[in-house]
Amino acid sequence: MKVSYFETGRYVSPPDLPREWPVPAGSYDPDIGAEAYRGMVERVRFVEELGFDWVSVSEHHYSPRILTPSPVVSAAYLAARVEKIKIALLGPIVPVSNPIRVAEELAMLDTMAPGRIVVGLLRGTTNEYLSYDLNPRESRERTDEGMELILKAWTEPQPFGWQGRYFQYRTVSIWPRPQCQPHPPTYALGTSSEAGEFAARHRLGIGLSYGTFELMAKSARYYREQCSRYGWEPGPDDIIYRANMILGETDDAAEEALRRRDKQAPFPVRAGLRDALLQSDITRNIAGEKRPANVGGVLPISFCGGPDRIVEQLRRCREEVGAGVVDLSLQDPGTGDVGVMMRALELFGTKVLPRIREI
Amino acid sequence: MALIEPPGAAFRESFVEADGFRIRFVEAGEGLPLVYLHGAGGMHPSREHDLLSRHFRVIMFEMPGFGRSAENTRTRSMAELAETVAKAADALGLDRFNLMGTSFGAKTALWLASQHPERVLGLVLESPAAVRPEVPRPTAGSPEELAQLIYAHPERMPPLLPPDPAVAVQTEALVGRLRGSARDLELEDRMRNLAIPTLVVFGTLDRVIPPEMGRHYKALMPNCHLVFVYDAGHMIGAERPEAFAEVTLDFLERHEAFVVSRTETVIFP
Repeated sequence: MKVSYFETGRYVSPPDLPREWPVPAGSYDPDIGAEAYRGMVERVRFVEELGFDWVSVSEHHYSPRILTPSPVVSAAYLAARVEKIKIALLGPIVPVSNPIRVAEELAMLDTMAPGRIVVGLLRGTTNEYLSYDLNPRESRERTDEGMELILKAWTEPQPFGWQGRYFQYRTVSIWPRPQCQPHPPTYALGTSSEAGEFAARHRLGIGLSYGTFELMAKSARYYREQCSRYGWEPGPDDIIYRANMILGETDDAAEEALRRRDKQAPFPVRAGLRDALLQSDITRNIAGEKRPANVGGVLPISFCGGPDRIVEQLRRCREEVGAGVVDLSLQDPGTGDVGVMMRALELFGTKVLPRIREI
Repeated sequence: MALIEPPGAAFRESFVEADGFRIRFVEAGEGLPLVYLHGAGGMHPSREHDLLSRHFRVIMFEMPGFGRSAENTRTRSMAELAETVAKAADALGLDRFNLMGTSFGAKTALWLASQHPERVLGLVLESPAAVRPEVPRPTAGSPEELAQLIYAHPERMPPLLPPDPAVAVQTEALVGRLRGSARDLELEDRMRNLAIPTLVVFGTLDRVIPPEMGRHYKALMPNCHLVFVYDAGHMIGAERPEAFAEVTLDFLERHEAFVVSRTETVIFP
């Protein structure tokens, strides 16, 4: 099993920070921001030393919870400062992006850090659409079309035009092309039937996140069925599971940390706005089974325990979900003491990681 | 309540004598002529042609041996078929015209353009069959199988009618005789010297001819533009008529300049 550390740009918020998304930009403290980014490099060097396979970065807007609105900038910053660890962009939010720009920037990264870039293409969470004024009702179709266009821009050797539903270009011919041919390892991120079908049709991996093993297994099963329909069989590395983990020295210590965990999201969306977003984002599903969108809510803890129990839970994740890569937060983004997380990372690297390689 | 006419209803049927054949054609619209050559499935005026006929005089020839025409055992090659179409255009007094073809008809159109480059103002090749993979894709038997093959989303399209068995046999023999090999080297030599502004359009979900074939036209032809219509199958204009017609009309109006956007993005002046 491979392990990825989810780096969120740990902005240590002062206690008087407004607790609502979007968080007022005027509350931003440049010194804390600078420290967050310096710490990003330190943390990634640390997990690289511990033997983590990947560091993942993501795209989130308008709050200090995850201080990385541009995963490409995060990845470029890290790629220049660490040597071995792979950098997974999980990922650019496709429906709010210019797909050609995404294809170009990822090809640049793949050329600058050959063999070290992993790409996840993401529909994104509903509140993120407010950031760039996207109608949530269009997000599904814009994602599907945008992903298709990114793959075409990477692989088509001749200049071409694109006559889509949401994107139109008369001339596309990107330079550089990706260093990895035909393109860097790429995942469609999401539990939906649409993500599973798209990934299967294009021989991509799938990235699942935060659901229970049972639900994620359902989504992974759908993906594998689609892969079979398209005549191929995915391997363990083709399924990523992103999850929160509480790792303690002992099971009791981890349980205690779970009890102390704040049950509220650090920067929730106001109720009226949340309801409006939920009403306009109605196509979310797990393998075709309709589910409500998650609008800034608190995310569950999927793994909790001391090292022995965590190893068993990871083994169960591998068996039930089929995930060959776990992408982990060892502390909720936007909360807590970074020192505690660093100790948890060290504990994971020394007491868990060596025991899960053969899973 | 306003009546909505079915696709192609504006097209009027006529016949023309040319090259020893009595050729059925339909036409609609005014302006510069746009000659259209159908695919191996025959002539079916549809919404894309309606949209084109708002800007052009669209003339769709039923090529000899297809559809309701008499069996054609005379034509031996695509080159001959193209000459017959050119003569039909002559007989209608069409001196210079835009030319468009779908699939098999696009290959015919390429031959015609290479034989009479001075007559063709602009060339549009929809899902062209002039360059095909060496390993052909599976063919269809029933109308349902055919719909699966030619449409990206058959569930969104009206059901295909079963073909008249006699017409099917006649067409199959003709297409089999004329279609030629996957790579027609003589035609490809001609394409290298064909400077006519050319637009090649493929659907991203074409299951008859892989859209990757589009790159060969772009590589071979000196003045060729390649456009993918997202989420369309082999019958692009039938599935995404507005998207197909918009790029086709823009290209026929502006040729190379169609790459310069005229889309206005101002929100509030």
